[in-house]
Order: sequence, then C-alpha cells, then structure tokens
Amino acid sequence: MKDPYDILGVQKTASAADIRSAYRKLAKKLHPDLNPGDKSAEEKFKEVSGAYDLLGDEDKRKRFDNGEIDASGAERPPQHFYREYASAAQGHPYADESGYADFMEGEDAFAELLRRAQHARANRRGQDMHYRLAIDFGESIAGATKRITLPTGGTLDVKIPPGLVDGQVIRLKGKGEPGAGSGGAGDALIEVEVTPDRRFAREGDDISLDLPVSLTEAVLGGRVRVPTPTGDVTMSVPKGSNTGTVLRLKGKGAPRKGGGRGDQFVKLKIVLPKGPDPELEAFVETWAKGKDFDPREAMR
Amino acid sequence: MMKMTKQEFLASSGIHVRTLDLWIEQEWLAPEQTPEGARFSDIDVARARFIRDLRDDIGANDEGIDVILHLLDQLHGLRRTLAELRDDMKSRQGD
Repeated sequence: MKDPYDILGVQKTASAADIRSAYRKLAKKLHPDLNPGDKSAEEKFKEVSGAYDLLGDEDKRKRFDNGEIDASGAERPPQHFYREYASAAQGHPYADESGYADFMEGEDAFAELLRRAQHARANRRGQDMHYRLAIDFGESIAGATKRITLPTGGTLDVKIPPGLVDGQVIRLKGKGEPGAGSGGAGDALIEVEVTPDRRFAREGDDISLDLPVSLTEAVLGGRVRVPTPTGDVTMSVPKGSNTGTVLRLKGKGAPRKGGGRGDQFVKLKIVLPKGPDPELEAFVETWAKGKDFDPREAMR
Repeated sequence: MMKMTKQEFLASSGIHVRTLDLWIEQEWLAPEQTPEGARFSDIDVARARFIRDLRDDIGANDEGIDVILHLLDQLHGLRRTLAELRDDMKSRQGD
C-alpha cells in the first residue's frame, strides 16, 4: 500500500491548501477524460483521487495520521468515464467533426477517404437491440403473442411461433435502434427462455409425460384425463396395462418443420392408494399367480 | 439502453436542478428531447460527472470548461474517425 502523501507528492506537514493544489495539478494531468488515448491514466487517477479522498478530508486525514485508519479504505469504486462513451462507434450528440473539416476538402485520396467515412457515418444502420423473454412450456408448444416493455418505455409485440425451443432467438426486423440517414433501423433480437414444466419433457418434436394410474385403471382398463401442453385430453388405458407401458397420443407434440406434429408419449406408472388396505391384503394373500410371479427373473 | 428522466438524473448524479438547467442552456449537456421531456442516457451521466470533476477537482471555471469541452469534442471526433479509418484498412487487408 503506497503512502497517500507520497502519491500526492506532499510533506506530512503540508497544509490543506497545499494538498488541494497538489491534487489539482495531478488531476489535470491524469484525469482519464483528459487523456482519452492513455489506458494507464485510469489506474493512476484512481490512486491519486483515492489519496485525495483521504487527505483532502480533515477528519479522515487526522485519523489516518493517528493510525486509526489505513489507506485501504480510500479506494474509489470503478466508474465509467466519459471517454468510454465518447469514442463509441454508434455516434452521439456530442460528436464534433470540425476539428478536421479542412482535411475533407480537396481532391486528394485522404480527403476522399474521410468523405467516404463521413458518408458511411451519416447513413449508419441502427444498432440491434437484445432482449430476453421468458414464456411457459405450453406457450412454447402452442405459440403465443407476448408484449415486452422496453427500457425506453415503449412496447414490442412478439409473436412466438408454435414449437419454439428454449434459447431460440426471434428477430424483429427494423425494431432496433433507429439508423442515421438512409441507414435504416436495426433489428430487435429476442432470446426466448422456456420455463420448464415439471410434468413434460421434450425430445425433438415429441413430448413425454409420466402418468400415474390406479391399479384398477391398469388392470381393468379405462378412460383417463391426460394433461398435454395445449390442454387436457381423454385417453384410453387398455386393459392389462403396466408400469412402463407407453401410450402414444398422436399429433399432440410440437409442430414439425414442414408440416405435421410430433407425438406425446405417455408412460404409465401404477400408484397404489396410500396406507395399508386390509381388503387388498386379503385378496393378494389368496392370489396364487401373484405369489408365483417373479418380476426379477430377467435380472438373474 | 436505459434512459432517465430529469428527476432520475438529478437523483442519481447529485447535481442541483439549477446547475443542470445552466449546463443544458450552455449546451454542455444535450439530453434527448422527447414529448414527455428530456431523456438522459449513460453518456449524459458520464459527461455530467466529467464536468463536475472539471469544476470541483481540477478547478476549471465556466469559461475554462467551455473551452475544454469544445476541444475535447473535436478530439473525440478525430479519434473516432481515426478508428474508422483503421477498421477500414484492417478490413481491406483481410480481403
């Protein structure tokens, strides 16, 4: 840690006025906005202004001299200096070309080059704007229209195409920043994030779902309601179904490129009622085939 | 890019409203003018901070600030054109 007195180049006995004048002298030389092309200016200026924050404040200086605080608390948080914005490519209201206007006149190649650059600048295409949008799983399959509010206060209607996948980017032509002259506006690029739905998993255009069924429904068959991303449908569970049985709901998946739709695959999972059931126990006790059956035969 | 209203700008910069009006009048700051009033971008915030540094840290008076900004704007204009010419040359070499 450098000594703040050394940084400002003053004696420990320096008066407040001396410290101020030493700081001003250094700030004039080192302020990053007065040195647009010097990358190291920022680091040096930070050091100097940190030292001045400490020694320029009578109370803080006293405490530092008494050893109550050290120079470490004096660091300024990083800031964005004007020069970062002023030299950005997209142009701003403070840009001034008069400093070399004379170079643009004349018939030489350099003047021609400058004129061409000026023309390109005057007709620059607007910046693309990037946004993020979260939609739910159902909307990603069925499609939707969402309205996003822009930081500038305006709104943008985004049409979500059916079958969109997580991370897909929608480009809205001409909805970005306005351009200059004949440059035309940039585009709005919206990255869509699909919030996962615990029930559904998507693989390509197909969707899979684990569906709990009762023992009765599995053994005797029956009609059950099945959720799909676009709403519930009724499906027949065939008699004698089992855990792991996969049924197909044709056309209930995501739309395919070039027409048609994927399918939804429903994987059955038998679930018994909670808690012991004396009636069920009594039946299974007497059910001979159930006792003889070895479901782990294939594992041996 | 987030744009601030005048109230938001005053609150975040700690600049007095009369000072701000003066700076705009002197064309040191040029916020975007919309039907709903002035809108300030990041560059306006950074420029206001720089003007404050010139006044408070460097000790420049109003006349000095006027000259500094005028020259600095030209310097940035030059730097930008220089950068464009460099990029232009780079892309030609790439061909």
